[in-house]
Amino acid sequence: MTSPRPAARATKPLIALLTGAALLTGCASDGQPTTGQSQDSATVGWTYTDDSDQTVTLESRPTRIAAFTDYAIGLFSYGIEPVAVFGRQDVASDPRLADYDLSGATIVGNSYGEIDLEALAGAEPDLIVTGIYPVDRGGTISLEEPYYALADMEQQQQLAKIAPIVVIKVGGSGADVIESLNSLATALGADQAAINAAKANYDAAAADLTAAAEESDLELTMLYGSADGIWVVKPADEPTTELYTSLGLRFTDLNPDGDFYWDVYSWENAAQMMTGDVLLIFNEGYQAEDFKAQPTFASHPALVAGQTYTWADAAFDYNSQTAQFEYLAEILRQSAKVTS
Amino acid sequence: MLRLGPATPATRRRQPAVAAGLAGLALTGALIASLALGSNLISPAAVIAALFDQAVDPGAVVWGSRVPRTILGLMAGFALGAAGAVMQGQTRNPLADPGIFGVSAGASLAVVLGIRLAGTTSMLATLWFALAGALVATAVVFAVAALGRDLSSPVPLAIAGTAVSTLLAAITSFIVLTDQATLAAYRIWVIGSLSGRTLNGVGVALVCAGLGLAFAAAGARSLNSLALGTELARGLGESLLKTRLVGLAAITLMTAAAVAVAGPIGFVGLTAPHIARSGAGSDHRWLVWVSGIAGATVLLTCDVAGRLMGGNGEVPVGVVLSVIGGVAFIMIVRRVRVAAL
Repeated sequence: MTSPRPAARATKPLIALLTGAALLTGCASDGQPTTGQSQDSATVGWTYTDDSDQTVTLESRPTRIAAFTDYAIGLFSYGIEPVAVFGRQDVASDPRLADYDLSGATIVGNSYGEIDLEALAGAEPDLIVTGIYPVDRGGTISLEEPYYALADMEQQQQLAKIAPIVVIKVGGSGADVIESLNSLATALGADQAAINAAKANYDAAAADLTAAAEESDLELTMLYGSADGIWVVKPADEPTTELYTSLGLRFTDLNPDGDFYWDVYSWENAAQMMTGDVLLIFNEGYQAEDFKAQPTFASHPALVAGQTYTWADAAFDYNSQTAQFEYLAEILRQSAKVTS
Repeated sequence: MLRLGPATPATRRRQPAVAAGLAGLALTGALIASLALGSNLISPAAVIAALFDQAVDPGAVVWGSRVPRTILGLMAGFALGAAGAVMQGQTRNPLADPGIFGVSAGASLAVVLGIRLAGTTSMLATLWFALAGALVATAVVFAVAALGRDLSSPVPLAIAGTAVSTLLAAITSFIVLTDQATLAAYRIWVIGSLSGRTLNGVGVALVCAGLGLAFAAAGARSLNSLALGTELARGLGESLLKTRLVGLAAITLMTAAAVAVAGPIGFVGLTAPHIARSGAGSDHRWLVWVSGIAGATVLLTCDVAGRLMGGNGEVPVGVVLSVIGGVAFIMIVRRVRVAAL
């Protein structure tokens, strides 16, 4: 299902013609005047300013959406069914999408940066949704770099010719990321009642998680392991852990300053980060058995106590995060304090 | 005859025993450094105490990390250095790398298949997969080359090796590009590192390397004849096919053992023979051993350097070698006057 380059090139003029309006607005970065006009006249249609401060203006509200899996999940959960989905892993077998009906969506990419342009164009999207990650703790985003899930700027330009792209910024406050997805979904016509219902569940699960955190008073370590050593997530730099911290959870945070996002420990230095009562091990890389096989880490109290859980990042929508809250609350309630 | 640098009388007359002694001293230094230094800055006194009493080993750093990686570095470096000497002697090409017969590509594909199909990233499984892949790939390369007529020349083997390696690398790329988790695990393995290794299952790699070294030692005299050219070697009564087979076995077994424990580490097999030749001359009866010692010294020294560069983390030895090895490679290319093929 790869797109042969010459064929993709041949369809380019046609696509450009079909989506002429999209092409023009895709380049517009200063959308303030347009926004004003759209509020005055109902016929002008739809504008949206995304997290990178770029405004997309379309003649009418986009109904055919292409989205990266993480955001497609959020849109699905609010009743918006994308017509094209691309992922960083096999989309059809992605467990996070198991609850949703993918029959109306064309899968146009199954690994990072691999997008079948012809298939994407064939799905005739009005709008493409993907993400952008900040490059530092201050939340700086770089528009010189390709958006998340895209291979390079050339591919990004090809995508922009098919349909305008909007991005969700995944950084800083986790609540803000959810808010951003919600506002996009609302702008795309999501049913407000569905969002409100999801929020009610989310708030209830959040309150329960806070209660579980208070009862247990445990420290959690979110980590990734490989032969080269251990990578520990810095809770303030990752929006999910920031969100859970705001709800009262305590994550290993030995070095809040310094490097962005991860702290790296060689196996020789593994003893430095043995402060957690529970290990949340990323589903990629080393698993509990592999960690136990490392002599310098085998004595970790949480590892010895068997308090290790697989962790997979979830999408930023109320439903996905509600499930994470419930998982975390369960972990906290069945774990004991093993460090002093 | 393969000649490095200006052919002055001094470079022709070597004292291999002296060179071997000096190389041995350097290796001893590298071994001590590898035990004493690391990303965790424990004192030399604590290291010595832990070496004699495992109970006082701070965080299992000495016995859990430094001892295994020192042993593995010694083995992998020695194997790569000696394999490089045999490889360059066999091909009479001073720029030949022991990976050329498909060993690295075969090991890589097998490791990737192991991760993708069996979901295993454990060191022990990876070692077995790499070893099996390396040996199978070399057998395929040899079979392809044997389809041709003339195995007395290294060229068909090198061409078959390059062709098979390219095919295997393409399959490897296909697999890792379709699966993010496999790519992540493969990327870590393919750089080449001694980090996170234990001595579990290393016996098989050691046996492999030992067998290879035995072949290399047995074939050293033939390599000296070969250095005079295939015609002269034949005239001296060498069976070229036998020489090739012994050489191929030596190169494959030693390189496979090294790749299995440390990943496809580059540049050691290329540079160690040059270091050895500059001191020990070109008598392969000495060169194979001194190259091995030089290879182990280079690998351990670069590993120690990588440990000291990454703060709390480490820089994998494969990365250090790529940087230093790149410079060394250019120096070699510039020094070599006659790349006698």
